[in-house]
Amino acid sequence: MENVYLPRIGRIAGIDEETVGARAIKTFKVEFPNDDGFDHECGQCAMLSIFGKGESMISIASSPLVKDYKQFSIMKMGRVTTAFHDAKIGDLVGIRGPYGNKFPLEQWKGRDLVFIGGGVGLAPIWPVIQTAVANRQDYGKISVFYGARSSSDIMYKADFERLKGTVDVQLSVDNAEAGWQGYVGFVPANLMDKAPSPNNAVAITCGPPIMIKFVIQNLQKLGFGDEQIYTTIENKMKCGVGKCGRCNVGKDYVCVNGPVYSWAELKQLPQEY
Amino acid sequence: MEKILRKENLADWLAALEGYDIHAPAFADSVWNYARVNGEGMALDHTNTVRPVKEFAFPQREVFFRFEQEKDGAPRLTATVPDPAPIVVFGVRPCDGRGMPRNDKVFGAEYKDPYYWARRDKLTLVGLACNEPHSPNCFCQSVGGAPNSEEGLDVLMTDLGDRFHVKGITGRGIEIMEHGRDAFDEARKADKTEVAKTHAAACAVTQRSFGDLDKMPDAIRNNFDAPLWQELARACIGCGICTFLCPTCHCFDINDEVTCQSPCAGERVRTWDNCQFPDFTMHTSGHNPRHDVGARLRQRISHKFLYFVENHKTQQCVGCGRCISECPVGIDIVRVLDTVSQA
Repeated sequence: MENVYLPRIGRIAGIDEETVGARAIKTFKVEFPNDDGFDHECGQCAMLSIFGKGESMISIASSPLVKDYKQFSIMKMGRVTTAFHDAKIGDLVGIRGPYGNKFPLEQWKGRDLVFIGGGVGLAPIWPVIQTAVANRQDYGKISVFYGARSSSDIMYKADFERLKGTVDVQLSVDNAEAGWQGYVGFVPANLMDKAPSPNNAVAITCGPPIMIKFVIQNLQKLGFGDEQIYTTIENKMKCGVGKCGRCNVGKDYVCVNGPVYSWAELKQLPQEY
Repeated sequence: MEKILRKENLADWLAALEGYDIHAPAFADSVWNYARVNGEGMALDHTNTVRPVKEFAFPQREVFFRFEQEKDGAPRLTATVPDPAPIVVFGVRPCDGRGMPRNDKVFGAEYKDPYYWARRDKLTLVGLACNEPHSPNCFCQSVGGAPNSEEGLDVLMTDLGDRFHVKGITGRGIEIMEHGRDAFDEARKADKTEVAKTHAAACAVTQRSFGDLDKMPDAIRNNFDAPLWQELARACIGCGICTFLCPTCHCFDINDEVTCQSPCAGERVRTWDNCQFPDFTMHTSGHNPRHDVGARLRQRISHKFLYFVENHKTQQCVGCGRCISECPVGIDIVRVLDTVSQA
């Protein structure tokens, strides 16, 4: 019987400082030095650990097309994420997974894709964006709305510069800043301002719970149906395999049945996320 | 397989179970609990144990693996999947027996739990039918069970005064009966009649009830946002005894326990956890999806009588009554269910 709790060993092969401050975000590339890596799907997560500190469930932010490493963008919040922020290139960590369901990207061929991310909530939808862009011809118009509190809180800046040639990028900051070229205001307002068409489109959103709530309301105002709206939720997790009970919402264990839900599915569950 | 075991021959059966660890209820510190009784015999005149039988497969604390890591070095992980001797547990009350197949569903499913199954596969449960309710809070018959339920048990014994009727239910159960075949007598027709009469008398005792079990999922759904949860849970101090002692509650925590700082060494440990604790669901950000006692009581009840039913077509409650008897503030699951079903 496979030991589902025994992690593989991962090696931190790269660290990018995305944002600084109290809730700093760093992006880690994790390789498998023992050649026992796993494939994953867009939207899946992995349980990362630093031995002696504990485990945390983190979205895999790299595309499944990238085979050499997994990428994780981690905000410094608690014991384990702080330990990751203190880690350096070459450090060996624990990794097990992949866990959870996936974004049904193959069902979206031929359709417009509207991504709406806020803060570190960009990470779970980033592999979907990367995979769609890599198969650009399979999709219609691709738009990426992304907002952060200030320009210094924007993740993946260099990647956005590269994306601009291929997809419609709409960046926003919450408050006016000198030299800022993009939208000023919250993400849901930027979405209403640009008003993407719901015709033959799918919207994919992730961010702080309050942002997701207003993004979904605004998508509905724009005419997006419940089946056209996808999001990914998080809950406290310990086991990742549907047993420890922490992430239980209704009949679902988010670690197994989620984290990806259409709004049509999510509104059937109690709002305990 | 049905046999008769004269009480004076019980010791002969136990003596024949060589190589097994034998556990049975023992009275200590004013309560019944399971204890290893090899060579000591057993009375089998207990009420019910305070701690449930689940811990033979799902102990309160389980080390997943040991880790050791020099500074800048490679972690060395040593998994500690147990390899226990086979265990026979005597005196399991039928309610607790019914708990185990429910736990099997949780620890089986898509991802099999190697620690649970290493113990579970070595476990033989010998039940003892209840000739009378062992507690005023018994409600096994209100949740589909019975004082003589065989579900989840490998053997069912029934006390007939000077002798036990012993029925082998599973292959594992029949195996331990065959080890001790010389201790048993054949069950005659009169014995079987007496067993049936004993079981019928036990089933005829009125237990606590709360309305229609099959209508509970809808009743919970319809009252999900009702104020009754908050009202019924107001006294809750969040101690968690209701779930720790529950034969079917399976939630757990995983933590690293460090035993040495340099080199970093320690254990990754699973311990029982509890949905009634505020931090059970609290995100690191401080956001808490179940932020008050009402939401947490609703979760405990909904998990057992709605979500588990949706996922596994049966309730995750066996009516043992421990959560009622042991609650320090008198929160009563039967009263909660009754209130919900009448709301």
